[in-house]
Amino acid sequence: MQLPLCFQSMVDTPLSEVDERNMTRTQQLLLSMEKIDKRFPGVHALNQVDFDLYQGEVHILLGENGAGKSTLMKILSGSLPRDSGRIFIGNHEMQEISQMTPEYAQTLGIGMVYQELSLVPTLSVAENIFLGRLPRTKFGLVDWKKIHEGAKHSLNTLGINIDTRTITGTLSVAEQQLTEIARVLEKQPRILVLDEPTSALSDTERSRLFEIIRRLRSKGVGIIYISHRLAEVPLIGDRVTVLRDGQKIGTLPVSEVNEEKLAQMVVGRKLTEQYPKHGGEKGNVLLRVENLSVPGKLQNISFELFEGEIFGVFGLMGAGQSELARALFGLEPLSCGQIYVNDRIVNVRNSEEAIRVGIGLIPRDRREGLVPMLPIPPNITLGQISQYSPIRFLNLRKERQIAQQYVKDLRIQPPLLDRPVLYLSGGNQQKVVLARWLYGDTKVLILDDPTRGIDVGAKAEVFSIMDDLSKKGAGILFISSEMQELLAMADRIMVLRRGKMANIFQRGEVDQEDLLKYAS
Amino acid sequence: MTEKIPLDTNINTTAEVVTQTLTPSILPNRKEHLRRWLVQAGALFALLLLSLYLSFATPHFLTSSNIANVARQTAVTAILAVGQTMVILSSGIDLSVAAIAGLSASISAVLMTSQLNIFGLTIGPFPFAAGVLVALIVGCLAGCINGLIITKGRIPDFIATLGMLGTYRGIALLVTGGLPVPSHLTATELKGYLPETLIWLGAGDIFGFPVPGLIALAIVALGWFLLRYTVFGRSIYAVGGNREAARISGISVNRTKILVYTFSGLMAAIAGLVLTGRLNSANALMGEGEELRSIAATVIGGTNLFGGEGSVLGTLIGAMIMGVLGNGLNLLNVSAFWQRVIQGLVIILVVILDQWRRRRFGS
Repeated sequence: MQLPLCFQSMVDTPLSEVDERNMTRTQQLLLSMEKIDKRFPGVHALNQVDFDLYQGEVHILLGENGAGKSTLMKILSGSLPRDSGRIFIGNHEMQEISQMTPEYAQTLGIGMVYQELSLVPTLSVAENIFLGRLPRTKFGLVDWKKIHEGAKHSLNTLGINIDTRTITGTLSVAEQQLTEIARVLEKQPRILVLDEPTSALSDTERSRLFEIIRRLRSKGVGIIYISHRLAEVPLIGDRVTVLRDGQKIGTLPVSEVNEEKLAQMVVGRKLTEQYPKHGGEKGNVLLRVENLSVPGKLQNISFELFEGEIFGVFGLMGAGQSELARALFGLEPLSCGQIYVNDRIVNVRNSEEAIRVGIGLIPRDRREGLVPMLPIPPNITLGQISQYSPIRFLNLRKERQIAQQYVKDLRIQPPLLDRPVLYLSGGNQQKVVLARWLYGDTKVLILDDPTRGIDVGAKAEVFSIMDDLSKKGAGILFISSEMQELLAMADRIMVLRRGKMANIFQRGEVDQEDLLKYAS
Repeated sequence: MTEKIPLDTNINTTAEVVTQTLTPSILPNRKEHLRRWLVQAGALFALLLLSLYLSFATPHFLTSSNIANVARQTAVTAILAVGQTMVILSSGIDLSVAAIAGLSASISAVLMTSQLNIFGLTIGPFPFAAGVLVALIVGCLAGCINGLIITKGRIPDFIATLGMLGTYRGIALLVTGGLPVPSHLTATELKGYLPETLIWLGAGDIFGFPVPGLIALAIVALGWFLLRYTVFGRSIYAVGGNREAARISGISVNRTKILVYTFSGLMAAIAGLVLTGRLNSANALMGEGEELRSIAATVIGGTNLFGGEGSVLGTLIGAMIMGVLGNGLNLLNVSAFWQRVIQGLVIILVVILDQWRRRRFGS
């Protein structure tokens, strides 16, 4: 493939030989994206967004989940086509949209570390690091010695000690994330994109990563650092761009901002509006969990959930919070432990029985909650009809009326009852899943990161539905990775650490730092 | 929170109130309707075009006797395809339908035409009703076994039904000894001939309408009703559309799959009986190639090969296309060998078109 002229020289020159003086002085523009626009069915993901990156800087891309950060970066890496807008890499314009492919982006020196890991879990660490470009011997066979030496070297540079022969799937999430970073760095990128790299890392691992970032920066690599953690901005960034609901709110030097100002830019409204919390009357114990264990995932979890309570659960990635949700809903076999609903012991071996005793689940991945080709009405009633015998008849007219009511109550947009739900935006899809459990008269509602990837407005609506439900006496188990949400909405917060309960806090007793401290 | 009301309660009185209070802005999405209509109309259009061509290409096509003949030929494919549609909608595939048709027809034909001696007990020859019942039970059992192997054995649908295809054909060969039933060997023993009613099922007519065609129409209607108006049908769409979502909504994926395969087995048994009546004979290898034709009919009819989308009305049109195509090739004196080549390629072509259409129109 023909490389743009400006890049040929850069690709040919090894990192260490690039004249450092030259780079810091001239601040060459590495990347410039102009008026990038992208629409998905039901959502304007990017609205005329500008973004640029200089050599030797860390440009932080800040925004809530669903603000468009990942979409922008996927367009840069060529894994998503843009609808319109111009992209310059160096001084070369990527005119053809079809020209931007992941392979070409790599040739141009763009390295991506995605939030979702892209490692092959069944291969060894070394194989993953050299995936797609395994070195060969002169006979054309795979040069295993070189692979393992190379992999070991690149891991050591990151300060990680993992046996390169380990099967990747057996590593912890943090180790996998570091492996992923090692893999991308092995290609010596000019532009490095890190998509929320610290979400699974402990404090020490994080500071080591920051060290690596600083070193790369001093070598002239341009780094785009995606985050939704405000506190990280002054630690690592040079400039910061804030996105909200697909729009660019502003780009500022880090020295000119403080956390408060950033928060305002990110959220765009006062926190009281964002988190409607009026609180329900705390009633009797609704759900009691005793010594719940899931092999390899959860150990001896015990807690009580009261009527009218929002019970928050916090943990780092992979701490067992999703398994807790799935276990309570009968999707994960328990090794021991009891679950009581209304003081009666229940045996939830599958979701059908969980629904029968009044438990509902909003799964972590929205795609697991909806049948995409079916329209809104069947998606709402699905939880209820599972309780009926297969030969029972459906009353489609009644079903439509029920759906119409919920579409109106929850303001599901657009209110088209014949359209498959796959065309709805994330927030509206989430409302459809919520409607299913509202219709089902659910007593215990488990929400596993319900605001993941939905826009700010829809988030507030989801919280308001949660608040409403708790006021009506339902118990809500609210799992979230967003500490702010938990602190604002939950009456109590349980912190999980590596599958064990670290602590339970009362509302107002903790702040973000405490949560993090107990979680890591 | 709204009161929980079972779906099948009749609430005519409140219905008007609800519709009045709702905003009139809730209109069905025309574009979506149009898209779905086009998918089905595309097949209908192809059927009309094919028929139009054939009626000009050969004088024998548009005659009442030929049309009745097409209806007879199409009936077996259509009946099998209704079961196949359900299976494919649940994101499975049933390669054993024709084998089950052969097995159930063979067993019941043997029982209806001969006297058997099992552990000193003399059985048969069975009357028509008992023979039909046996066939239906065998079909259900064979289908149920498919379902159990797939769900309990956690084996891909494709492999499980491919394996059972061979197994069922083998059992049918064991039962018939590889001979047609009735054959000159079995016929000499006793009675020997299939019941008149069975032959009427395959070859008779009511007021000029061929019976197999009417049976096929009734079965399409049954399939349509089950899919649209029962919890079973809804579960099929849910399991096929998103297995994980169905599971999280409390729908038993395994039970749904077992039921779907059992239903497909039942359809296969009915098809086997109709075919036996039409041929006036059953044999272990009958209906060979019908599994492919039933899949083709389903996909031509607009059902998503990966499940979750489609209807049996489309499948009926698909079956008719396959029937008219076969009939037309016969009338045009195309060799039977070439017919196989053409039918195979039609299936590939349709799936390619289907995939292209889905990518193009973003589904």
